[in-house]
Amino acid sequence: MEWLLFFEKSLWFGFGAIGFAVLFNVPARTLFVIGILGAIGGTIKIVCMHYGLNVITATLLGATTVGVLSIWAAYNKNAPPLVFSIPSIIPMIPGVFIYKMILGVIALSGDIDTQTYTLTLAQTVNYASKVIFIIISIAVGVSMPLLIIRQTASKNSKFQHQ
Amino acid sequence: MNTKQEVNTKELGEILLDVAELLMNYGASSNRIRLTVSRISESYGYQSNLLIINTAITIFLNKSDEEIYNSLRRTSPPMVNFRIVSGISRMSWSVAESIWTLDQIRAELKRLKSLPHYNRWLVLSLVSLAGASFCRIFEGNALEMAVAFVATFVGLFVRQELIKHKLMLYVTIYIAAFAASFVAGAAAKFFPQSSMEHAFAASVLFLIPGVPLINSSSDVLDGNILTGLSRGINALIIGFAISLGILTTTLIFN
Repeated sequence: MEWLLFFEKSLWFGFGAIGFAVLFNVPARTLFVIGILGAIGGTIKIVCMHYGLNVITATLLGATTVGVLSIWAAYNKNAPPLVFSIPSIIPMIPGVFIYKMILGVIALSGDIDTQTYTLTLAQTVNYASKVIFIIISIAVGVSMPLLIIRQTASKNSKFQHQ
Repeated sequence: MNTKQEVNTKELGEILLDVAELLMNYGASSNRIRLTVSRISESYGYQSNLLIINTAITIFLNKSDEEIYNSLRRTSPPMVNFRIVSGISRMSWSVAESIWTLDQIRAELKRLKSLPHYNRWLVLSLVSLAGASFCRIFEGNALEMAVAFVATFVGLFVRQELIKHKLMLYVTIYIAAFAASFVAGAAAKFFPQSSMEHAFAASVLFLIPGVPLINSSSDVLDGNILTGLSRGINALIIGFAISLGILTTTLIFN
């Protein structure tokens, strides 16, 4: 039954990626691939989390998959990898954690008693740490595969000794 | 590799700066700018070196230590247009494979700059659909999804109108974030049985600075730490502007 839910979520991940692709004005021939990449990355994230993986690691796995696939898509569709990877990873941004973090900071800057303050502080720091690590996972996961491939590829380049 | 044709060093330098400036303004990472520029210059037998910072690009172009060209170009605040980035990348590959005259490159750059954006209403509806999708991904219900759709639509519409008036980027983001979260907040007042938390979180996501963020990370990991930091700080201030927009809404509705 949960696989049906995963499938439904993957559609929404795809729509999210396509929305951002249009906002970034990507070439029309890449739109479909971006939707597929967004769906794959997001589904990997939620499936990993369903099987008990931590949200940060799950996001890193999803983003790395998108990073690797975007290189493959770049070779096939003649467009730079970032055209595919950036719209596809945006649905993985932890909007709810960011929102709760902002609300927490707003609450902390108001006049509240010590008891509530300690509780809110603990929650806000927890949300903020999650947000920071998830965003780092997304950014590193997406850029790392390209950097690794480029270093391997440049070893075989004929321009190496120029 | 084709037989290298003779070109005027100054003209080639100007074109390479045009290419670098376009790539910088429309959302390419530092390494991509270097790669593309040197791919074009090498096909004319020149060596190019770029110094890239967030507000300017300097080029050093030389051929067998004789002809040297050196110039600086200011860059404008970044926008995102992947159609131009992708088109320039394709062009650099065909320049490397076959002989292009400089006039051909100029004409191609001009063509790329005049390429149309997607229809405004298509962008509005697809981005709003993306907003509703985020709401569903965050486990929101159908009502919240509808609210996220409308909020994103209003926010993006306001942003597009403000961009026409060439307001400062961060002010634009602040007002758009306020407009989007205001719609979600008003809906929360209207439907008191639902908290609208997910709609709130999804409504401002279309403003997320995804391109500066990813480019910042690729630049830092690649060793272009200064450029990466300046892109990262740009992303951070956009994030602050979004939070301020949400803060204003929260103050109004509480």
